[in-house]
Amino acid sequence: MAERRVTTGPGVGLHARPAAVFVQAATKASVPVRIAKSGGKPVNARSILAVLSLDVRGGEEVVLTAEGDGAEEALDALAALVEAGADKT
Amino acid sequence: MTVVGAPVAGQVVALGDVPDPVFAEGMVGPGLAINPERRRGAAVSPVDGRIAKLHPHAYVVVDADGHGVLVHLGIDTVELKGEGFTLLAADGDEVRAGQPVVSWDPAAVEAAGRSPVCPVVALDAASESLGDLLGPGSVDAGDRLFTWT
Repeated sequence: MAERRVTTGPGVGLHARPAAVFVQAATKASVPVRIAKSGGKPVNARSILAVLSLDVRGGEEVVLTAEGDGAEEALDALAALVEAGADKT
Repeated sequence: MTVVGAPVAGQVVALGDVPDPVFAEGMVGPGLAINPERRRGAAVSPVDGRIAKLHPHAYVVVDADGHGVLVHLGIDTVELKGEGFTLLAADGDEVRAGQPVVSWDPAAVEAAGRSPVCPVVALDAASESLGDLLGPGSVDAGDRLFTWT
């Protein structure tokens, strides 16, 4: 299983707008991706309800995981998005 | 079927007319928005359900069907850091449709330079799953905005 630990960019975290941008990118990824807070329960990164309920704040660490062909590339792209602050891209 | 009620009184506007491209393009999900009356009041729950996430400026209520509805009180209001918003419920609370969740003042939001327009969004929903969407016009808090199957 591929995994990335990333710290969310400065700002408000994965609130409505950046969460929507993140979920859309995860939906386009070639493999299913899960997102969790450090030590927390992973949720489906393609669900805006799940990501909003996770309530990731700016500067908080999250863990992205995926399996299968293309998992590394998918996580690289999503990790970069989270680090930048998803709505700043 | 989920019946989604208006969280605030005001004028119904299409989501596409919300001054934020991410909401306007339906990236958060399909739904409607309300341009609220400019007076302090309570924003209420749009459905019977559990508060999955409560912020001063936004909340998500999930009903028994697992349908999550996001109510966002104004645009970019996360930047107000809760100022002018009073929580009337808590994360995880079971609420009834029409039950007050947050007290706020749309006029103060506008005076702070932000749009007080409130998107009401069906999360993880396909736009085809929404029906009976209200057209432009006045609504009271609790009036039916749309149905979700």
